[in-house]
Amino acid sequence: MKESLNILTRGLVQENPVTKMLLGLCPVLAVTTSAVNGLGMGLATTFVLLGSNMVISLTSKLIPDTVRIPSFVLIIATFVTIVDMLIKAFSPELNQSLGIFIPLIVVNCIILGRAEAFASRSGLWYSMLDAIGMGAGFTLSLLLLSSIREILGAGTIFNMPLVGEDASTILVFALPPGAFASLGAIIALMNALEKKKGAAA
Amino acid sequence: MRPVIFLTLAALISAALLATVSDFTREPIAAAKAEMKRKAIEQIFPFEVENMKTVTKGKSVFYEVYDSENALRGIAVEADTDKGYGGTIEILLGVSPEHRVIDYKVLSHLETPGLGDKIDKPKFRKQFHEKILEGPIWKVHKDGGFVDELTAATISSRAITDAVQNGLEQINEHYSNTAEQ
Repeated sequence: MKESLNILTRGLVQENPVTKMLLGLCPVLAVTTSAVNGLGMGLATTFVLLGSNMVISLTSKLIPDTVRIPSFVLIIATFVTIVDMLIKAFSPELNQSLGIFIPLIVVNCIILGRAEAFASRSGLWYSMLDAIGMGAGFTLSLLLLSSIREILGAGTIFNMPLVGEDASTILVFALPPGAFASLGAIIALMNALEKKKGAAA
Repeated sequence: MRPVIFLTLAALISAALLATVSDFTREPIAAAKAEMKRKAIEQIFPFEVENMKTVTKGKSVFYEVYDSENALRGIAVEADTDKGYGGTIEILLGVSPEHRVIDYKVLSHLETPGLGDKIDKPKFRKQFHEKILEGPIWKVHKDGGFVDELTAATISSRAITDAVQNGLEQINEHYSNTAEQ
C-alpha cells in the first residue's frame, strides 16, 4: 500500500518529469502559451503514457531484448495516432490549437523514459500508478507554466480577460524566450523551497 | 529470427487497430469540420441564419445566407493568403449583399502564438467592418493603408488585409452588387 502511494505521488514533486528530470521540454516550451493548451497537452500526454505503460508492462516478457526500443516506439506511436484521431473527431477546438503538437508526443522522452525505466520491469498495477503520477506531475507543471505565461503575456486566464482589451501585456512571455525564463524561475523556486525544507529538517 | 517475427506481428496488430479507429472516427471528423464552418458562419453574421446554400463557382466556394422570406442577407466566401508569417492563412469572409465587409473568421493559420494569432481578436477585425473593395487602400498603416497593424505582428496584419481583399475580389467577380442596381 505504502509502495503504491509512493509510486503515485513521487511524480508530482520529488521526481516531477519537467522540473526535476527536465524531460520532454520540447512540448513543454512550445505549447504553454495558454492555460487551455497546457492542460490539453498534459491530459493527452497522460493518456498516451497510461496506455503505453499498461501495454508495455503486460508485454515486456514477450518483447525480445534486441528490438525493445523499436517495439516501445511502435506501441507509443499507435496510441498517439489514436489520440490524434479522437481529438480531431470529438474536440475540434482543441485540435485547432494543439493539432500540430500531438504527433510530437511520440518523441516525448517522458513516455519512452517511463517505458524503459519503469513499465518494462514492473507489474501492471504499479505501471498504471506510475503513468498516472508522472502524467499528473507533467500536467501540473504545464498548467503552472502556461498560466504564468498566459496571464503575463496575454492578460487572460483560460481565455477570460483579466485586464482591459487595450492594456499592453508583457509580450515576451508569449514568445519562446519567455517560456525559458518562466520555466527557469519555476525550477529555481522549487529548488530553493526544497533546500529550505532540507535545512529545517 | 524471433525479433523479426515479433516486430512484424506487432506492426500488423497496431495497423489493424489504427484502421479500426480511423474507420470509427472518419464520420465524426467530417461532421466536426462541417460544424465548425457552420458555427463560423453563424458567428460572422449578426442576425439569425435561417437558411444557407453552398455554391461553388469556379475555384471559389460561397455560402449564401437567406432570411425566412428567402431574401439574400449575406454571402460568406472562403479566402486565403500565403503571405502569413507561418504560411497560408485561411479565413471565412462574410459580406452584406451590398458587398460591405461584415466580419471574418480565421479558419486556419500558423502564426506565432501570442503575437500573430491576435488576427482573430475583435478589436483587429472591427477595422474591416463596412469596408468595400473600391476606395480604401488595402494595406496596413506602415504601407500607407487603413489597417492599424497589430503590435509586433505587421506581417500577419498584412496577410489578413490581403486575405480579406482576396475574398472581396472573389465576391465582386461572381456576384452583382445590389447597391449599384
